[in-house]
Amino acid sequence: MNSNTLSKPAAPPVVATVLLVDDEPVSRLSMAARLKRMGLRVLEAGNGKDGLAILRRERPDLTILDWIMPDMDGPTVCEQVRQDPDILSSQLILMTSQDQPEQIAEGLARGADDFLSKSASKQEILARVQSGLRAASLVRSIESTRDELRDKQGELERELKSAAGYIQSLLPVAGEIAPSIDMAWTYRPSLALGGDLFNVSRWNDQSIYFYILDASGHGVSPALRAASFATFLRPENIRHCITQHDPAAMLVEANRRYPLTEDGNYFTIWIGSFNRVTHQLSYATAGHGGALIQRRDGAIEWLTHPHLPLGFEPESTYELTTLKIEAGDRVILMSDGIYEAPAPTGELWGTTRLETTLMDHRSAPLRETLPALMAEAERWHGSPVFPDDAALLGLEFRL
Amino acid sequence: MQIKERPIPNAVILDLNGDLTYAHRDLFKTAVETLRQKGCRHVILNMADVRFVDSSGLGLLALVSQNFKLNQGKVSMLRPQSYVREILGLANIPKLIPVFDNEQDAVNGKAQAA
Repeated sequence: MNSNTLSKPAAPPVVATVLLVDDEPVSRLSMAARLKRMGLRVLEAGNGKDGLAILRRERPDLTILDWIMPDMDGPTVCEQVRQDPDILSSQLILMTSQDQPEQIAEGLARGADDFLSKSASKQEILARVQSGLRAASLVRSIESTRDELRDKQGELERELKSAAGYIQSLLPVAGEIAPSIDMAWTYRPSLALGGDLFNVSRWNDQSIYFYILDASGHGVSPALRAASFATFLRPENIRHCITQHDPAAMLVEANRRYPLTEDGNYFTIWIGSFNRVTHQLSYATAGHGGALIQRRDGAIEWLTHPHLPLGFEPESTYELTTLKIEAGDRVILMSDGIYEAPAPTGELWGTTRLETTLMDHRSAPLRETLPALMAEAERWHGSPVFPDDAALLGLEFRL
Repeated sequence: MQIKERPIPNAVILDLNGDLTYAHRDLFKTAVETLRQKGCRHVILNMADVRFVDSSGLGLLALVSQNFKLNQGKVSMLRPQSYVREILGLANIPKLIPVFDNEQDAVNGKAQAA
């Protein structure tokens, strides 16, 4: 079709189509003959309604409308075209024998793109028609590009959704993950794909280990790196590479495998390992400060200390800290996106408010406490979309 | 963020003004890498007018420190504000990049290391 030709200059030349709408047969025949001599394909209509119907059906490159016509005049056709999303970008030239400035202004105001006097010379008609066709070509080119962009955006969004589904599949299933250990989590990535991941794995009948990691940066790349790291941390891989589930040893190996990227991106991570026989929790951290224990009586202790993130120093070693878990204790891992959620004023939610909220919900079941914590951070932030990933993982030990 | 380059004997000071964050990563990286490629062996980052450093900023600091070490050079920091000092401390950055309270100490720190 000619429309495609106009929007894609590389295609073979096809004759442009002009729709001529005029109720005076003599005037219409005369103008149609002139247009045909210019090498154009000409469609004709004897009134506004028929013209509008042909315009909708044929989508001509250019439409020339007589101003005065019975039932529906030229400016009314222009108005109807501009209100119809399917044809509103059509190029319209109004033609009249009265070309007073006020009339021109009215015609343009009601939706015409250009104006043509019935007494115009052959050269002027040619120039205005060519100008209209150029504009039509540009508009179609823009529309075609817009449609391509929409298609590509849709494709990209579908792919992101599929990738998000994969990332989601890496997350653990909440519930009793080992005898007498309950687990719950809630996660709100800041984009479709998050760079924060967490998991709980059974090492053997005696031990579990669990972690939360944060890939720096935003978008697809950190999410892919996080997924790769989560795969590295699977028990079958750890058994193969490190042969033990000591958190400090895991971090030494991870530090070796995940150096800083050339853009300066890296991981922070907290890993803990719990022995169900000795009730001891051992943990190590590489720059991740989001871990705390809440004792049965509500007392909170942060399980973290300053340490370089992964990849900052090739020969880093990691301190292993051990503590005893008592019946009813909860360990909560969280993204910094939770306590760094900013209020509209810029003030961060902060660990003190987070602790207060945890104290307020200590008697509620873990599966209710975490969403309540998220809701409180959201209330502070004033929006359900946080600027950074917000993940919460909780374990309750019913020993 | 604005970055001004100020050569002094045995080092170049970069006066940073603004936030060292993801949004300004290219500007910062280019400024420091340009100095390194020119053969500068000691760059001193003046942090006095830096209000905030995010996780990307921490990564950039580690990256430029590593890159300077590859050329037997070093990076130092001057006078970070208290909140920025806290962020740097939590990530243990001063272990990689020494922090000084005045320019002369920063320059001498380089001399001692040499």
